[in-house]
Amino acid sequence: MMRTLTRLAVVLIAIAAVACNRTANDAAAISAKPAVALVLKTLNHPFFVEMRRGAQEAADRLGVQLQVQAAEREIDVEKQMQIVENMIQTGIKVLCITPSGSREIVSALVKARDAKIPVIIVDTRLDPKTAGDAGVHAETFIGSDNYEGGRIAGQYAITITGGKARIGILEGIPGHETGDSRLRGFREAIAAEKAMTIVASQPANWERDQGFNVFQNMLQAHQDIDTVFAASDLMALGAIEAIAAAGRTGKIRVIGFDALEDAKKAIEAGTMAASVAQFPYEMGKAAVESAVKVMHGEKLPADIMVKLEMVTRQ
Amino acid sequence: MKARRFGTLLGLIVLCLVLWALTPHFLTVANLLNVAEQTSINAIVAVGMTFVILSGGIDLSVGSIVALAGVLLGLSLHAGHPPALSLLLAMSIGGVAGLINGLLIDRGGLPPFIVTLGMMSMARGLALVVTEGRPISSFEPAFRAIATMRIGFIPAPVLITAGVYAIAHLVLTRTAFGRYVYAIGGNEEASLLSGIRIHLHKPLIYAVSGLTSAIAAIVLTARLNSAQPIAGTMYELDAIAATVIGGTSLMGGRGTLAGTLIGALIMGVLRNGLNLLGVSSFLQQIVIGGVIVGAVLVDTMLKRQRA
Repeated sequence: MMRTLTRLAVVLIAIAAVACNRTANDAAAISAKPAVALVLKTLNHPFFVEMRRGAQEAADRLGVQLQVQAAEREIDVEKQMQIVENMIQTGIKVLCITPSGSREIVSALVKARDAKIPVIIVDTRLDPKTAGDAGVHAETFIGSDNYEGGRIAGQYAITITGGKARIGILEGIPGHETGDSRLRGFREAIAAEKAMTIVASQPANWERDQGFNVFQNMLQAHQDIDTVFAASDLMALGAIEAIAAAGRTGKIRVIGFDALEDAKKAIEAGTMAASVAQFPYEMGKAAVESAVKVMHGEKLPADIMVKLEMVTRQ
Repeated sequence: MKARRFGTLLGLIVLCLVLWALTPHFLTVANLLNVAEQTSINAIVAVGMTFVILSGGIDLSVGSIVALAGVLLGLSLHAGHPPALSLLLAMSIGGVAGLINGLLIDRGGLPPFIVTLGMMSMARGLALVVTEGRPISSFEPAFRAIATMRIGFIPAPVLITAGVYAIAHLVLTRTAFGRYVYAIGGNEEASLLSGIRIHLHKPLIYAVSGLTSAIAAIVLTARLNSAQPIAGTMYELDAIAATVIGGTSLMGGRGTLAGTLIGALIMGVLRNGLNLLGVSSFLQQIVIGGVIVGAVLVDTMLKRQRA
């Protein structure tokens, strides 16, 4: 038994020694560069992959070392908090974060404040009251105005339906600021139109398969739905599959949010009406650029808004 | 038994040495306390899981019970009940949910996998229903102290974890109930024939698991300053992993709580270290999966050599 253990230990230590050597060299090469952390909600969503690309481009251009970390699942606030705690230990200069929970992440940001690490919030706003109570202050917020995006989608829905529609809504995870704002914008945009009726509104938790299932159920209960607004494209794409499964492709108009590649293809193919485009690449880029400004002691505006666009068939 | 615990402990030490060699940020007091605090929730859930697995069962409902106990705790605190009463309520909910699992398994004669799979869905659903899917946030500082307070320099969650392990260890090694946990897992029929009141003890084992899940829920809720109905997703897998890495046999009858604690620490240290090294979250999953399988492989090899 001892022999096996000893062998195992020797192998591991050998690996460690080699790896250590390599890291020592790497460390020498990068030690001159200040480190900026970008903590995302997840990396298994094209939106955040794009954001990372933008951030990396800016980091390479500006000579900072970018460390990107994300929880395995978007809803895992506790894991995101652990990541923030761990990043604080590595001596990062600025923390850029897309909060998994507008309130929950504040507890982690208290620790960043105590370690005197400035924080830049990207994409999802902090809950102002929770942040205020905890004395947490962000250098800036970088993102699109989700409320405005929802409003644009609502106005577009009125245009294409002539102001008369039976609408089904797919919501994101309840309590998420991002989804709530989009829905609020959409609802307020159509509120004045008497013939625009929301017949059902259910959460599909940002996921494609849930978008499929929830919308399939919705169609069972409300045969007359002719328009769908999904708070994200993944859910919209799920709904499109459900519509196809019901043999009603083209009869139900689907409006999504994010303008993902798949959504753009669906719009070209005519299975989807439109999608509100955000520019995550620009957000990632702006996050790192702002981080560098913070390092140089520059003041940032409270909000840095990234443009929105309605993508429709050309 | 000693040799196997030694093997797991050695694994943890080697892991720490490797990380110490790889990054200057690992072996600092601040970071080690950080790891201990992060490990606390999984470690506490794994206590109940160890009881259940030792008895030859499995509990898939722990993550959902964390969510259910958490949101009821949150609602109770928001209703203005004193923290002590709210904590008691949360622990009762967890205990009762576990007891229901145990009764269905024992009296209903159903497989633990099925019963706790059902409870996993029901407890989660109930948590979503009572909150309408929304998180319950912002609690008074007196309650939050459970996560934020430090006694000396040690974070409170670490002390709570130590307390839970100390009590559970005593129960497992010094009481008749503890011996029966091993006996039932070793050979349920023989235990029954030798006069052990299985119908009393088996439901209690699952109640312990529900109770520790509720304690974890209390720490989690205080830590996030929020109770989420979607909290605790996949906690069952982390707890099973910690238990198994710690050398407890999935067949029941063999294992220790000390092993489980080391198992939880290995997972916590690994996650922390991979973060410190800036390893991508996709690679992290591969590494963690590899460690779970590797640890059990080594364990099995050691057992075979002794046999």
